[in-house]
Amino acid sequence: MNAKVDHFDPIVFERPGVTLTRSQVEAFGREIDALREQIMADLGEQDARYIRRMVRTQKGMELAGRGLLFLGVLPPAWLAGTALLSVSKILENMEIGHNVMHAQWDWLGDPALDSSTYDWDNTCPAEQWKHSHNYMHHTFTNVVGKDRDVGYGIMRMSDEQRWNPAYLFQPAYNWVLASFFQWGVAFHDLEVERLLKGEKSFAEYREQRRKIMKKVRQQVGKDYVLFPLLAGPFAPWVLAGNATANVTRNLWSYLIIFCGHFTEHAEMFSEAEIENETRGQWYLRQLLGSSNLEGGPLFHIMSGNLSHQIEHHLFPDMPSNRYKQVAPKVREIAERYGLHYNSGRLSRQFGTVLKRINRLALPSRRKPKNAVV
Amino acid sequence: MNVITASNSHSVAPGLIRRLGKALSTPFDPEDYLALFDPLQSAREIRARVIGVHRESDQAVTLTLQPNRLWQGHRAGQHVLLGVDIQGVRHQRCFSLSSAPGGAPTISVKRQGEGGVSDHLVSHCQEGDLLTLAEPAGDFVMPGAAPERLLMVTAGSGITPVHSIVKSLLASNFGGKVTWVHFERRYQDLMLSDSLAALRGDSRVDLRLVITGETPRDGDQAGRLDEHWLTDNVTDAATHTVFTCGPAGFLDTVMGWHREYGRAPLFHERFQSAPVVAGEGGRVHFARTGGQAEAAAGVSLLEAAEQAGLSPKHGCRMGICHTCKCRVSKGRVRDLQSGESRELNGQEVRICVHAAEGDVELDL
Repeated sequence: MNAKVDHFDPIVFERPGVTLTRSQVEAFGREIDALREQIMADLGEQDARYIRRMVRTQKGMELAGRGLLFLGVLPPAWLAGTALLSVSKILENMEIGHNVMHAQWDWLGDPALDSSTYDWDNTCPAEQWKHSHNYMHHTFTNVVGKDRDVGYGIMRMSDEQRWNPAYLFQPAYNWVLASFFQWGVAFHDLEVERLLKGEKSFAEYREQRRKIMKKVRQQVGKDYVLFPLLAGPFAPWVLAGNATANVTRNLWSYLIIFCGHFTEHAEMFSEAEIENETRGQWYLRQLLGSSNLEGGPLFHIMSGNLSHQIEHHLFPDMPSNRYKQVAPKVREIAERYGLHYNSGRLSRQFGTVLKRINRLALPSRRKPKNAVV
Repeated sequence: MNVITASNSHSVAPGLIRRLGKALSTPFDPEDYLALFDPLQSAREIRARVIGVHRESDQAVTLTLQPNRLWQGHRAGQHVLLGVDIQGVRHQRCFSLSSAPGGAPTISVKRQGEGGVSDHLVSHCQEGDLLTLAEPAGDFVMPGAAPERLLMVTAGSGITPVHSIVKSLLASNFGGKVTWVHFERRYQDLMLSDSLAALRGDSRVDLRLVITGETPRDGDQAGRLDEHWLTDNVTDAATHTVFTCGPAGFLDTVMGWHREYGRAPLFHERFQSAPVVAGEGGRVHFARTGGQAEAAAGVSLLEAAEQAGLSPKHGCRMGICHTCKCRVSKGRVRDLQSGESRELNGQEVRICVHAAEGDVELDL
């Protein structure tokens, strides 16, 4: 899209081949707003049935999985039990927990699916997750120095982050983070680096750590102590099944989440760029900082519909089952404004994430716009 | 009643089993899993199954409920916040319990014609439906021992809590006398008519039906309540302890009469609260901290709270992160994004994108 230079309507967005004036960005924002209104006004019984069926399916799979693991001495039972438990943990964390905590289902008025009371099957306490994710990550998406999901405090995911030699090892410890993702997520909320820099009080840190440790004890107690004990002589099989399910869920959620913001064309932003940002500009940043994954209906559900990362970032509190309906319309609007709609299959998108991790392990050749420690 | 027996046997279950169940199902509750097999199961809300639907007419229905074990019973005359899912969305409204305590609770509902909870229940509620109940509340109850002479004065839906009180009184060893005057416009509007007919057989009750909108049938009276009606129609009315419930204007008349002549206590239950005047902006009351603030049109509740020196929990200030969600005890708010205005009664809103319309009480 080309626009004449206009004193009253300055160009506020420039990328190779595209410039948008302020009024164009606001028009873009209004179109996205209209899309949101349209879906939100249409929510009803079908959506309620969807999430309730999802909860029943997940709870049923979990019961069946844990039941089969008691017979885990038989290899087929162990495999089936572990698979069911893995899938149920993925569904609970991604399609149910993450989305419920985003307040996607608050409109139902059901206390079992309310963002203010829901807690998920994960070592990260809901309260802290809602702060670091719903607020920090979703408001300051891909803003280096603000969005702590950019590398979780241990990885260099953007040229804007200053290089240090420890990052040389990130292609390796990336896989450690992936395997222990729920622990990474839980402890990254502690913001140890802010504590060390004196931006955060020790009292606040200690209180957060106390809450995390309480949740950790409950989670570990359930999966690694009580259920194995209940199985008596079959404890080793239950323990192994539970551990495998947790690691599977970790790897899968890591995979989906890293593909959401760290693919080849996903853009990073500096704090200076978001000063006085309008709602239209915020939408623009969400679109450019996110990337989608393509696949079948089951794949979308298993990803918690984070395969529609762009739509999720534009509409974080829209029920996830509606993203697939709104996605083609978002794409159409984006393309009409000449904006890149970043979408691809999992293998391709993840390939570009690994490339980014490898490239940024080394010092950047080009000078960053705005280096942040 | 089997409901009560069940609840007693559960409450003596060892705390250890309960704690083990909780530890095995953390961060959820065992009931979240049991609900797969019995949808009444819940650890966080009283769920009730509708086990009886008695359609009094096309205008009213009496529902008999079987609540789960969280239900602790009610006192005669109390009301309960009842929730029902309509088009997937939970709607709530207060109803007086019409049954005497001890059995399966019943509520009697009259059509309001506004398409809300009452209309839904009257038109669509069926046996087997699930509802939710809050803890019963209200102080429209018999204080201590019942007085010898009681005068019940009711109109319309006001019949329900008094029905509960009278039924429970008669089930006890009450030896006094109850005079109950009920005003109704037309017979088709009358709720609990079967039960009323049965009450006429008890010598301790003098039940009178006053029909205001059509010709009364055998034994019933015509007429309309005014400030002299009770004195003229009930012997020694002034010496009776009065329980009254009905529409606002009706209550005002009864209470006006009582102020003038009454020589014994009066207890009343008001169904509708005074109407809220909707306007641009309004006054925000902070229930916890006790302060208040004047908020102009378009000023969010969050901004109003901050201007009043409070610092509510918040995040994005643009309605996306839901960190600032706060309960509005009562009042009308306007959604600053959609422009929609709605009446709240204990629901949560994102205070960064809602503004006050008239008086609003915030849980801050």
